[in-house]
Amino acid sequence: MATTTASLSLTSSDLFADNLSISTSHQLNKAGTTIGLDQTTGLNRVYLTATTNVDIFTVPGATKDGKKSHVYIANLSTDETEYITVTIGDKVIGRLYAQDFLWMPWNQQAQHLSDLEIAPSVATGMNVEYMIIHEGIVLTTAADS
Amino acid sequence: MATINATVSVNSNDLTSNALSLSKTMTLTKAGSNVGLELTSGLVRRTFTSTNHVDLVTAGAQNYGTPTASKANKIYIKNTGSDSTQYFEVGLGTSSGSGTPTADSIGGTHLAIGRLYGGDWMLIPFDGSATTGDITVAPSTSEKMTIEYIIFFE
Repeated sequence: MATTTASLSLTSSDLFADNLSISTSHQLNKAGTTIGLDQTTGLNRVYLTATTNVDIFTVPGATKDGKKSHVYIANLSTDETEYITVTIGDKVIGRLYAQDFLWMPWNQQAQHLSDLEIAPSVATGMNVEYMIIHEGIVLTTAADS
Repeated sequence: MATINATVSVNSNDLTSNALSLSKTMTLTKAGSNVGLELTSGLVRRTFTSTNHVDLVTAGAQNYGTPTASKANKIYIKNTGSDSTQYFEVGLGTSSGSGTPTADSIGGTHLAIGRLYGGDWMLIPFDGSATTGDITVAPSTSEKMTIEYIIFFE
């Protein structure tokens, strides 16, 4: 097992009359246990030059329904008008504008319906980073032709 | 405008052969601009005592305002519990209003995003459109469980 910690700090000094300060941290464990997640895709970085909706993590066949995964996605663009639309299957989670990130659990519930997909808003080139820390994903069967 | 900063840090000394140390900060701004988000639900706390599958946040008008769909809205959700076996399944779509999480209609009116076990949190963009639907939760147990969330929106 491994020990991996994910922390979040949410702060603002002018959103309210009082300061906003939310801080949380948790250890990434396998589903229903206190055993640490021990697999990862590593941090991927891609440069997308089309507005095509593409899979970044797919559930190609047998699912891992109920297994634990945590997903990180960041839009590295510096143009505030550029965004990626993040979807799970046919459901839009939302838009990540320049420098935005998300952190969320992922349940590989159903073949392709649970695929994580991104679509850039422009075709002029956009860097995106993503990573999963997980307890099992299904790899695509090799095809040589 | 307001300045709201969110920083995620992911660290591990033994997940891979080299230490993992990821840190990313974002300023929550309105769509397509550098102007900060300035509307919020405030930190909401809800307690559940059944496994009913219910809406946590619905698309459209709320008592704190109406998040504009398909913008740069964000939502933070946390399972405040500490039990490693109890979870909320968070999804998109329409709640059944009753029944269990396994009653989800995959690919139909509801789709699970993932499970938040005790102490787990998530920060995602909130589309809030009618086609995506609501953010739903289904507790794994009828024992008392508590969730906190806050929406930042325009």
